[in-house]
Amino acid sequence: MNNRISGALRSPVTFSVLAGVVIGALFLLGTGADPVTAYQAVLTGALGADGIGSTLSTGTSVLGMALALAIPLRAGLINLGGDGQLVLGGITAAVTGLYVPLPAPLAVTLALLAGMAAGAAYAALAALCENHLGVPLLVSSLLLSYPAVSLASYLARYPLKEPGSSLPQTRALPEGVALPAFGDSTVTVGLVLVLLAAAGYWFTDRRTAFGYEIRMTGLNPRFSAYAGVERRGLTLKLMAVSGALSGLVGAIGVLSFPYRFVDGSLTAPGYTWTGLTAALLAAAAPLGTVIASLFFAVLQVGGLAMERTTEVPRELTQVLQAIVIVFLAARLRFPSRLWRRRKEAV
Amino acid sequence: MTPPQAEPAVELRGITKRFPGTLANDSVDLTVSAGEIHALMGENGAGKSTLMSVLYGMERPDAGTIRVDGREVSFAGPAGAMAAGLGMVHQNFKLFDSLTVAENVVYAAEPRRFGLVDRAAARRRVRELAEEHGLAVDPDARVGDLPVGLRQRVEILKLLHRGARTLILDEPTAVLTPAEADALFAVLKSLAAQGRTVILVTHKLREVLEGSDRVTVLRDGRVVARLVTAETTADEIAAAMTGRAVELDRVHAPGTPGDVVLDLTGLATDGVRDLELAVRAGEIVGIAGVAGNGQSELVEALAGLRPVTAGRVALRGRDITHASATERRAHGLAYVPEDRHAVGTAPAASVADNLAMGHHRTSLSSRGLLSPAAVRAHARRLVERFGIKAATEEVPASALSGGNLQKLLIGRELAHEAPLLLVEQPTRGVDIGAVQNIHDQLIAYRDAGHAVLLVSAELSEIRGLADRVLVMYEGRITATYQKDEADERSLGLAMAGGGTAPVEAVD
Repeated sequence: MNNRISGALRSPVTFSVLAGVVIGALFLLGTGADPVTAYQAVLTGALGADGIGSTLSTGTSVLGMALALAIPLRAGLINLGGDGQLVLGGITAAVTGLYVPLPAPLAVTLALLAGMAAGAAYAALAALCENHLGVPLLVSSLLLSYPAVSLASYLARYPLKEPGSSLPQTRALPEGVALPAFGDSTVTVGLVLVLLAAAGYWFTDRRTAFGYEIRMTGLNPRFSAYAGVERRGLTLKLMAVSGALSGLVGAIGVLSFPYRFVDGSLTAPGYTWTGLTAALLAAAAPLGTVIASLFFAVLQVGGLAMERTTEVPRELTQVLQAIVIVFLAARLRFPSRLWRRRKEAV
Repeated sequence: MTPPQAEPAVELRGITKRFPGTLANDSVDLTVSAGEIHALMGENGAGKSTLMSVLYGMERPDAGTIRVDGREVSFAGPAGAMAAGLGMVHQNFKLFDSLTVAENVVYAAEPRRFGLVDRAAARRRVRELAEEHGLAVDPDARVGDLPVGLRQRVEILKLLHRGARTLILDEPTAVLTPAEADALFAVLKSLAAQGRTVILVTHKLREVLEGSDRVTVLRDGRVVARLVTAETTADEIAAAMTGRAVELDRVHAPGTPGDVVLDLTGLATDGVRDLELAVRAGEIVGIAGVAGNGQSELVEALAGLRPVTAGRVALRGRDITHASATERRAHGLAYVPEDRHAVGTAPAASVADNLAMGHHRTSLSSRGLLSPAAVRAHARRLVERFGIKAATEEVPASALSGGNLQKLLIGRELAHEAPLLLVEQPTRGVDIGAVQNIHDQLIAYRDAGHAVLLVSAELSEIRGLADRVLVMYEGRITATYQKDEADERSLGLAMAGGGTAPVEAVD
């Protein structure tokens, strides 16, 4: 156990995060602000009584997207189409919630499932492009994302637009078609769903033959192909799961405040990219992804609070995020170079 | 052997080089006299390559001095070493395939005329050098079209063109046929006779005995023996390399073949055509051949990793010509691939995870659930049974030595108890000690009634293990020998394409 703790302390993740914090402090000093006050503002803003609810609801989306990206990443696949899958999930959930004539609880469940199905199908399309047309997944998933975002935007602006409103948004969902919230906070059952997904991911990763195949494919795709793991099938399954989670995040977004689909509101906070960052930071490990997601949710929410109380712009937290990534990227190259040196040496 | 002169061509004193976690060279002394062929021997990881990297300016030693022709030197890089008269032929040639021989030879040291490369002079120079040293090669040939043996000559010509007086060759015969290797040694001997010095880095005993004047043996980063070739034996060198007596080139007793397990008729895939072959239970069929004659493609096609374009493959009577890798494994095939790092293992994964592959859907899991405890127990069993040296089963496979990684791979595949085992280059780059262990395992597997198809570039291995030897040349089986007929000379001839007319492989 002691070993494990010292290993975690010496790990590149710790190093990257610390380096980010230190360099961020230098930036703060450079702009004439007091780093201690600023960081304090971030922490109290995000974790204090006023901020915790906001952190958890932001965390729901960040964690959901982080899982969506981590699951394929575990097998070395990168899904860059999170935005498209997220938005399709949201608009599908909105349509379902608006037009399905069912009692509210059933409508909510159906809206969630429909959102997940839409995201899954769209992500699977990107997988099919790679499997059968030879378009690299990175490219197919990213490029497919744009038409999806545009389609949702069109729907919210024209056919589904709320009559009389000047905003590009759908009508509000019927009374009661919403995810139950905890008390009067903005935190909903969505958080529970996302945490369940994280638990499912952890279990699959640690305890199932399928999870083992995913891990081995991520570590060496030729090794798993040699042993008979069918890559196309794996790509399709993982992308479908990934898209379903993105769609779920979109549906949760629509089934929580403001209970409608507003064009741009799902993608503007950049959950997809924050989620990707968190997944990369954790090297797609299940537990690590959860921790990294919460870390970034704290930064995002705390950054706003810092801006309010100390006049340091919230962009600083983005600088911090970027520095962490740069250091991590440097680590990704570092060991492979060492490894080659070692091999040449013997 | 030329009598040692006053100034050695190369003199290393007390070279120490430390890498994180390993002491690659521990105060190594190496003296190479001018005009001799000096073999530097040792198992993988003994520190040979590190020592040569230090000499050639690619690594800085932590301690020690280097003298070349009596002058103390300190190279900042290979350029400095070249300027001092050293030249190195790397294991992987550093040539431009699309350029001609002459262009490659003069590259970076071109004869110039009016500021431009003088091609005519370059060709002339190459012709002169080739003639002078008996390195016949056409200056206008494109390097990419040449066989490896000739490419190696181009590398040597390159060094001679730059005026190298000491040539360092790293595992020069790894990719050569026996005949090409003999030709290389003839060239090296004539170079030495002219007063040039050759340092030969190798782990092949035979060529050291035949081609060198003196031998320095490294083990665990230290010099353990300095021998005069004429006064030593293969056993003595092997004992120095491994630190114990080793029985070399054992020929195992033949097996007792039973039913046909693998049956190929008219098989074709990339680089392989019209291939007929049968392997029976209780028999090892060895495929000999120079690398690149279709052996790898054949095995990949059998393993389901490469599509078969024509013909039929039957495993235990069932047609598996177009079956997936998974279906083949389920029907009784296990496979030890040639490239342990890139294909046979995931070096970043733990030893336990590496040992679980292929067993993870069968013996280790039930209804898709894979218990970590079962994976660990399975790993401990195999580590114990196959003598894999690993600190724990949780360390990454990359921490294992080459021999232990190979034992892991072979152990994992043998544990399938599949009726057919495909094995490629089972002991390439593996220490002599581990070689014996691996050979014994393969023989035991055969004797338990399994069929084994063995592909190896090591003739002694094929001859020691195989009950029948097939020679593959340009994608076809060009010769077949029974165990006792396969002598090194006729095998070597067949591998070079000079064999007799194709013999029916199936008896």
